[in-house]
Amino acid sequence: MSKPADLVQGTLDLLLLKILALEPLHGWAISLRLKQVSRDVLQVSDGSLYPALHKLEQHGWISAEWGPTENNRRAKYYSLTRAGRKHLEREAANWHRIAGAITQVVKLKEA
Amino acid sequence: MALDRWLRIVRLRLASLVHGRAADRDLDEELQFHVEQLTEANIARGLTPDAARRAALLAMDGVAQQKDACRDARGIRVLDEIAADLRYGWRICAKDRVTTAVAVVSLALAIGANTAIFSLLNSLVLRSLPVREPQRLVTVSLSGTGNTTTIGNFPYRIWDEIRRRRELFDGALAWSPTRFDLSAGGETQYVEGLWASGSYFEVLGVPTIVGRPFTTDDDVRGGGRDGAVAVISHGFWQRRFGGDPSAIGRTLTLDGVTFKIVGVTPAQFLGPDVGRAADVTVPLGDDPLIRGRETMLDRLYSNYLTIMLRLKPEQSIDAATAALRGEQPQIRQATLPAAAPHEVLERFLSAPFVLAPAATGTSILRRIYARPLTVVMGVVVLVLLIACANIANLLLARAAARRHEMAVRVALGASRLRLARQLLTESLLLSALGAAAGLAVAAACSRLIVRQLSNHNITVVLDLSPDWRVLLFTALATIATTLLFGVAPARNASSVEPIGALKDDAARPGGGDRRQLRLPGALVAAQVALSLVLVVAAGLFVRTFVALATERLGFDREAVLLVNMNVQRAAIPLPQRLAAHERLRGAVRALPGVAAAALSLVTPVSGSGIVPRIAVSGALPQPDSGLAGNAVMNVVTGGFFDTFGTPLVTGRDFTDRDTAAAPLVAIVNQRLARTFLGETSPLGHIVRIELGANPAEAEIVGVVGDTAYRSIRDGIRPTIYVPLSQFPNQPGGLASIMLSVRARRGSPEQLAREIAATIADADPHVTTTMLPLARQVDASLMQERIVAMLAGFFGALALLLAALGLYGVTSYAVTRRRAEIGIRMALGAAPGGVVRLVLTRVALLVALGIAAGAAVSLWASRFVATLLYGLEPRDPATLIGSAVVLASVGALAGWIPARRAARIDPAQVLRDA
Repeated sequence: MSKPADLVQGTLDLLLLKILALEPLHGWAISLRLKQVSRDVLQVSDGSLYPALHKLEQHGWISAEWGPTENNRRAKYYSLTRAGRKHLEREAANWHRIAGAITQVVKLKEA
Repeated sequence: MALDRWLRIVRLRLASLVHGRAADRDLDEELQFHVEQLTEANIARGLTPDAARRAALLAMDGVAQQKDACRDARGIRVLDEIAADLRYGWRICAKDRVTTAVAVVSLALAIGANTAIFSLLNSLVLRSLPVREPQRLVTVSLSGTGNTTTIGNFPYRIWDEIRRRRELFDGALAWSPTRFDLSAGGETQYVEGLWASGSYFEVLGVPTIVGRPFTTDDDVRGGGRDGAVAVISHGFWQRRFGGDPSAIGRTLTLDGVTFKIVGVTPAQFLGPDVGRAADVTVPLGDDPLIRGRETMLDRLYSNYLTIMLRLKPEQSIDAATAALRGEQPQIRQATLPAAAPHEVLERFLSAPFVLAPAATGTSILRRIYARPLTVVMGVVVLVLLIACANIANLLLARAAARRHEMAVRVALGASRLRLARQLLTESLLLSALGAAAGLAVAAACSRLIVRQLSNHNITVVLDLSPDWRVLLFTALATIATTLLFGVAPARNASSVEPIGALKDDAARPGGGDRRQLRLPGALVAAQVALSLVLVVAAGLFVRTFVALATERLGFDREAVLLVNMNVQRAAIPLPQRLAAHERLRGAVRALPGVAAAALSLVTPVSGSGIVPRIAVSGALPQPDSGLAGNAVMNVVTGGFFDTFGTPLVTGRDFTDRDTAAAPLVAIVNQRLARTFLGETSPLGHIVRIELGANPAEAEIVGVVGDTAYRSIRDGIRPTIYVPLSQFPNQPGGLASIMLSVRARRGSPEQLAREIAATIADADPHVTTTMLPLARQVDASLMQERIVAMLAGFFGALALLLAALGLYGVTSYAVTRRRAEIGIRMALGAAPGGVVRLVLTRVALLVALGIAAGAAVSLWASRFVATLLYGLEPRDPATLIGSAVVLASVGALAGWIPARRAARIDPAQVLRDA
């Protein structure tokens, strides 16, 4: 019920890792960034973000730390670990491969 | 890198587990922050604060669900649930105290018994010696000598040759267990000792915790640079010196000789013989200091050393055997007896060396007890199974009482898996409690059994500290137990139909279907079957013990006191020792309470003996006995048969006229006469005795009744007696001899003080050890007694558990069918009919169980065949007797609830309904 239906399995992880690769962010900021970069194409409910983040943390790809926000509230900031960076590289390469292949297939159909 | 990540993950999991509440607060705060930010954004978009908050919560897809999902992602939900299950299980256990107590106590006994027996087996059979790389150790023996053990196989001269060739291996060592007398004279004070080669500590890789070990420099004939030295065990150090390091340099008197203590071995090292603690270890080379001219170092025929080799790191046992056999011709050449008779040589030359792995050390105790203990292990496993069946039935009954609760939980949305897990957790809680108590029971039990194993002859010391094997065994037993008794109730409960169960009024026990009684019935039948197996086993072992204990011994066990006299320290020249012994015997015989007294090398059922090869003139053809002896022998003085009450059948006893100068004579027992000569009278026949280097020929002058010799189980062997006066050249130079004293009346133990005083008067340097013959006979049956005791105890326990199980299930069935029985009675059923109704079912279960148990017993009896005496493994009397016992116990267990059923008041039942 909380899984975004039209998000390919595993892609949410990839997106989160990619977003965190740029800078450490808290959950709210991540959700804003997600909507912004995907130009609202990807529908991710605000809630389902957190289980995904916690799972990534459990895997050791990202780490979390409490810190002050710009308007001085306490928030949990997530940042990419070294293992996470490697994982991101692998997953990104994987994505490119699959996306490329699918694009090829789709083009074939048109031709 | 990867390690880094794993460390972080482990830390996170632990943090979630330990700081569960803090993590929850964190999660709350994190989600709260998001909701607030979202609300503010919504307000900024122009919504009212209320609407903004509602929209924010909606966008979260349910805060509570997300929290659950987060906890799931952290993998702590399962842990939370298990914790909740445990808490709930604990409450259930605490509420239902009787069931809990019965389950925990029976599990503690059953798991405890299993752990106890297993830890005995572990320390006796499985555990490696606590030395460096024990898997590279091998023992040496000679094949085909009729000697099946690897213990005490070699004389010193062969060891001397092997040690010269130690470069073939990574080292070689030899030892011989002994008992040293610590006393200065009079009553002996024994300590377990060990003669060991100088290489012993180095090759085994055993260090000293204080002082130094002795080395090859100390193992020199007559003592090394520091004179006679000794290394003591940690236990002895603690007992005698209170663990004082100044013990190093102090002295010990061993058999009258002063030894200097140079080192103490670590606590976990008890010696190479498992079951026996070597408290004082001295170099082989110091032997002449104690034994003087009869030193073992010069005796060609005295096999007393156990030889062990350490293989080189890559050396296989076959390669080592080949290397040693390659040297065998030279070793033989160097150790040939100077004037050995031809047959002796031939035998000596034909036997090749054999190597066997010895990582677990050597052990006489293991040879005696490995098999009985394995059988007892099987017995206690069956007891555990029976206990499991009982507990399963208890829990099934409890589950039936909780059907309502389960139905409510299913109705409220609990998954069936979740319910099953709940019940399994409860079962696990029970077995864990039982196992914890069982460990305490086990420690006490195994110590008790080890104490039982010790007797006047052997002090059994086993390292019983639980190691990983024992703990793993107990853990596995606990888990297996949980599954065995927990699965059935768990399955039953999770298959509950909420509608039916809820409609069933919990207060009305008549509900439910008959199907639910089938499983308990099967469990009870299985219990009866297993109990029958155990009762049969108990019957077989008890009858074996009784058969041995009542076996005709051929001598009076009650009237004789055995006195070991040692004249080592009395300054008596070798040729006069026999005369000295005879003088002591004369002095003792003159005591008013003494009826008869005789000297002998061997006493009955002492466990040891002399086994010569004999040939009788004019004998019937005999089967070839190979290298082994074909008779047993004793060297005695006149009066031996009077002392033991063994009848002289024909001919005469030895007399004073049978001197060294007179023609050699011998007395044989009836078995020997019949075996070698059939019905012909043996008197006047010549018997040739081969033992050691010098065969002798003697004329048979008497025949005596048959007696047990080495052990009762050995049965009656052809036995030959020769006079001590004509055969005084015995190994050890008669330094020690047995004086057997027959009391005129009453217990021979009363004579002990008087005899000790008489001997001390005659020569204060003579040391004595006394033992009533009856105790020696009892000690020889120790293994059988212990097995019979254990089997009997567990058989009775099994019977009790089966009776309880049967009683429980029957009385539960009666309670459930109370309404039905009441109606039957209201309609005119007689009480007798009701009893029959209940008992039919009991009889069916018991009959099924007995049939299955009999089949299993017949199959399993083959495993105990070698432990039995005087009866067949499939002994029909035992089997039938056991079946009758079980049937009667079953009838009793069923009759009590049946009678209760017959007393049901129909009016009462109808009113209740």
